[in-house]
Amino acid sequence: MKAFIVDLSICNGCYCCQIGCKDEHVANDWTPYAKPQPDTGQFWIKVQETIRGSVPKVKMAYTPNMCLHCDDAKCMAQCKSGAIYRRPDGLIVIDPQKCTGCKLCPDTCPNGMIYFNEDLNISQKCTGCAHLIDDNWDVPRCVDSCPTGALKFGEESDFAEQIAKAEPLKANSCKGRVYYLNAPKDFVAGTIYDPVEKEVVIGAVCTLKDKAGDQTLTVETDNFGDFWFNDLPGEKREYSLTIEKSGKTQVIDTIDATNAVNLGDIPMKLV
Amino acid sequence: MSDTKGDKTVFRSLGLGGFYGGGAEGMVDVKDGKILRVRPFRFDYKYDRESIRTWKFEKNGKTLEPTWKSMPSPFSLAYKKRVYSPNRIKYPLIRVDWDPNGERNPQNRGKSKYRRISWDDVTTIIANEITRIHGKYGVNAILMQGDGHGECKTINTPHGQPGILLDHMGGFTLQVRNADSWEGWYWGAKHVWGQGVQGMYWPAHNIVKDSTEHSEMVLFWGCDPETTPWGFTGQFTSSLMYYWKDIGIKQVYICPDLNYGAAIHADKWIPVLPNTDAALQLAIAYIWITEGLYDKEYVETHVVGFDKFSDYVLGKVDGVVHTPEWASGKCGVPEWTIKALAREFARKVTSIAHYFGGGYIRGPWSHEPARLEICLLGMQGLGKPGVHQHQLSYFGMPRMEGLTGTSFWNPEIMERLALPVLSSVANWQESALPKTLVHKALANKSTEPLKFMGTGAIEGSVASQFKEHSFPLVTEPETRIRMMWTDTPCRTTCWNGGNETEEALRSPEVECILAQHPWLENDCLFADIILPANTHMEVEDIVTNIRQGGQFADVMLCHKAVEPVGESKSDFEIVLEVAKKLGYGEQVSEGATTEEIQKKVFEYMNLDKLTTWEEFSEKGYYLYSAAKDWESDPAGFSRFAENPEKSPLGTPSRKLEFYSERLAKHFPDDKERPPSPQWIEKSDMHDERLSSVRTKDYPLLLMSNHGRWRVHSQCDDITWTREAPTCKITGFDGYKYEPLWLHTSEAAKRGIKHGDVIKVFNERGIVLVGAYVTERLMPGVAYIDHGARIDPIIPGKVDRGGAINTISPDGITSENCVGQATSGYLVQVGKVLPEEWAEWRSENPAAFERTYDSAAGLRFDAWVINDREV
Repeated sequence: MKAFIVDLSICNGCYCCQIGCKDEHVANDWTPYAKPQPDTGQFWIKVQETIRGSVPKVKMAYTPNMCLHCDDAKCMAQCKSGAIYRRPDGLIVIDPQKCTGCKLCPDTCPNGMIYFNEDLNISQKCTGCAHLIDDNWDVPRCVDSCPTGALKFGEESDFAEQIAKAEPLKANSCKGRVYYLNAPKDFVAGTIYDPVEKEVVIGAVCTLKDKAGDQTLTVETDNFGDFWFNDLPGEKREYSLTIEKSGKTQVIDTIDATNAVNLGDIPMKLV
Repeated sequence: MSDTKGDKTVFRSLGLGGFYGGGAEGMVDVKDGKILRVRPFRFDYKYDRESIRTWKFEKNGKTLEPTWKSMPSPFSLAYKKRVYSPNRIKYPLIRVDWDPNGERNPQNRGKSKYRRISWDDVTTIIANEITRIHGKYGVNAILMQGDGHGECKTINTPHGQPGILLDHMGGFTLQVRNADSWEGWYWGAKHVWGQGVQGMYWPAHNIVKDSTEHSEMVLFWGCDPETTPWGFTGQFTSSLMYYWKDIGIKQVYICPDLNYGAAIHADKWIPVLPNTDAALQLAIAYIWITEGLYDKEYVETHVVGFDKFSDYVLGKVDGVVHTPEWASGKCGVPEWTIKALAREFARKVTSIAHYFGGGYIRGPWSHEPARLEICLLGMQGLGKPGVHQHQLSYFGMPRMEGLTGTSFWNPEIMERLALPVLSSVANWQESALPKTLVHKALANKSTEPLKFMGTGAIEGSVASQFKEHSFPLVTEPETRIRMMWTDTPCRTTCWNGGNETEEALRSPEVECILAQHPWLENDCLFADIILPANTHMEVEDIVTNIRQGGQFADVMLCHKAVEPVGESKSDFEIVLEVAKKLGYGEQVSEGATTEEIQKKVFEYMNLDKLTTWEEFSEKGYYLYSAAKDWESDPAGFSRFAENPEKSPLGTPSRKLEFYSERLAKHFPDDKERPPSPQWIEKSDMHDERLSSVRTKDYPLLLMSNHGRWRVHSQCDDITWTREAPTCKITGFDGYKYEPLWLHTSEAAKRGIKHGDVIKVFNERGIVLVGAYVTERLMPGVAYIDHGARIDPIIPGKVDRGGAINTISPDGITSENCVGQATSGYLVQVGKVLPEEWAEWRSENPAAFERTYDSAAGLRFDAWVINDREV
């Protein structure tokens, strides 16, 4: 069985996967695997950008989204014409010659990864470049185009270690042939400075307490006076932050960390 | 099973730097005479991995080695779309209202359309025009613009080919290319550390390994390693940055924008207002001097003029003490962060990284931040382990075995190869014009000649900056530019004073503008005659991927992939056609066949010592091994650092010159580039600071970097990249606008929403853009990539294409420096009013009636009458 591994910690957002897919499928006819993809508007692999935080504590995350080749493929189940099939290697393909253009599957896909081609009157999506795999190419074009190794493709059995660490992108995401690693987590960050001395405060002990639970996290400010609580869960949370330095204590009581939060430059008088 | 391989596979350098090759190697599969796909190059395609010795970096038990696959950028992988772009010029064109024997209507340049003409007829017209101009005005009345970046080719190299013919005919006026992506180093750094390579840190051997092993922190100062290397080597720097993170090197980004590198690699982002880095640098020096946080022993033995520099920093020269408090008011960085940065910089072994481009080194007075940066590095022992200035991976990658340094402007190689490239790096004609002053010359009706110090030629010596030139030459004061032969021009969108340039191109003084270009764009729209050039996919060639910092070095045969599109010819063939009409065919071609030239390049590279022609042509490429002893190459300035007497610099004092006696002698009254670097608030040339009275109307500082999705102006028509959210923004009218970044708070103040069609403007004109509202930019700034194709609504005044340089300063770097200043200037941003649309529509309805293609943008057929062929 084939599998894709997507390591989000080294996705640099270059879009080469998205472009490589188009180079392979736009204006090239790979019937019976796929008919040509329209020049624009379809993204069999689509890079999604997320900007988290605010100036100057901002991070970006890029996520390549694609057909997951689901184990429990709703598109296959609902297709009346038997055009959507799973190959022995696990890849799910829409047979462009059998598709009748009923337009049901694009709405059925929970990930929005099936497109409808009005000109050809067929549904289209990622084929895992099955036409290449069957002709002894080692990987699909998206994977070949990836400069950093963030995208990998191969036998599922060879990826056991990565798959063990994988987590679904969304809570209700189907399990399939695509495994995501190292999804970015939310953060609470800020800079502490002394408004009298006009100096950053180094080595302040910052304690973040989850108001709903009993979890506390502690970090010290670095040489820029910065503290970063990384890897926070991405669900709705309320925190309080306690800052301690040289016997002084300061508390920020209500932090809504539903998303990444930059608390900005926080004044703390030490004298 | 489908046949997926195609009929043949050929090799290309997919870089777009030009000059014979760079990197970003690729494989092109061809089927039925069409490009099937473009994919990364497999270096082991014809070589056993065991037969090639590779380099390896090691630190903390982690290693980085070359992958056996190239890492082209997205526009490289999408290059098929460039070849078959709807914007390709398919046959020769002549402007409908330009009559060489009658009315020439120069005022309609940029407005009128074109009609098809045959190669035979057009070359006859061109030959007659050249002969007429030479006879009536002299040879120097013809200006050749033939320089800059383009596709990687050798035999058919783009740019500069017309110079071969014009030189044979007695000479011409040469447009001299400036140091367009590294102005500050050229005009500033040379006066601190000597010539360098075009002003940049040199020697720089092995600094990538040295920083890997010794640097604790790297400052990406105005540097985006995820953008500017793309057009040259592809994405190797991306992997290097991930590796540096893995081995614990702190990556601090200092720039107004959370650029693409900062967005994923930064441990710390310090936003700084555009072109105010000099203030931040002076404050860092202030902290070091007052707290004793610098390498006093090194400064004592390796630096001259430290006392004068120090006096200025401490306020003993002009009364301004350059404290963090003072700097914070100029640069927008909090005082406490400036102090923290200064101390961290001193505490940790630190290098500074760049890869060309950006606002940092291309603003007004860019020589000042450049010089100050070197002074800072000098105060921390420049050249000591881990203390370097990186042109990140462009210089300093491991040395390759048997790779002989080859400058293709070497006079010993055939003229046909040397001369075109010479025009991008040197001033080799008696009559010359800096590229940054061309618009002034075209529009110059006065009897006074243009005077300038140095020509800005990128291979020019330090001393060349002290020589005064004039145009016209003093020996021929009547000469004016009467004809231009321009080769793939984009001066309007990539250089200073774009709108003034558009006006100048419409000057009646200029009787004929001849352009050659693969795509109908930018300055071509102001030409009278346009010739269709073809792309590297359509010619047989050879390229040397030996420069600019990739993982491997190689030389590859580039067999023709597909037949030329339409009636296009290579840049060389175009010139040859004209030369034949003038009786210069043999001189221009040197009678050499393509295969003979391929063999000559093989010999120039001394490949006969490493392989045989037969093996080379059978494999199709030669892959170099890393040199056996590359690890022992001294890193950067390490020898100078160890012993400045034995390994001196090329400055007059042989040391780092924090005060330049040479500048003091040649320019005693220069307030913009004084002998020791300073903060410049305002000058006769530029008034672009937040202290200016102009901020009443133009309160934002505009920054522009080289494009993420383009290489300068190249690749603006790729339908696939144009779908990326930071490439184009689709407006309410279906037009794809260039994104202008605004901080959330600045947009809110103006009632602007993400995706709105808005205008960015100043006294120099208006550019329409799409609002990109973001936390990736500090408040007080407007950010936009430069190089979008111009789409003039009102030529010289209003641009819809997003060509931001149309409203950039038309002045130069500073009075005595003919560089460009195209970032860090004042603008305002606002909504476009309905009455403005109405006014523009009534003033130039044709601009709104032109065929437009949302996916690809501007189209060839929009400018050609009776053309229904796409």
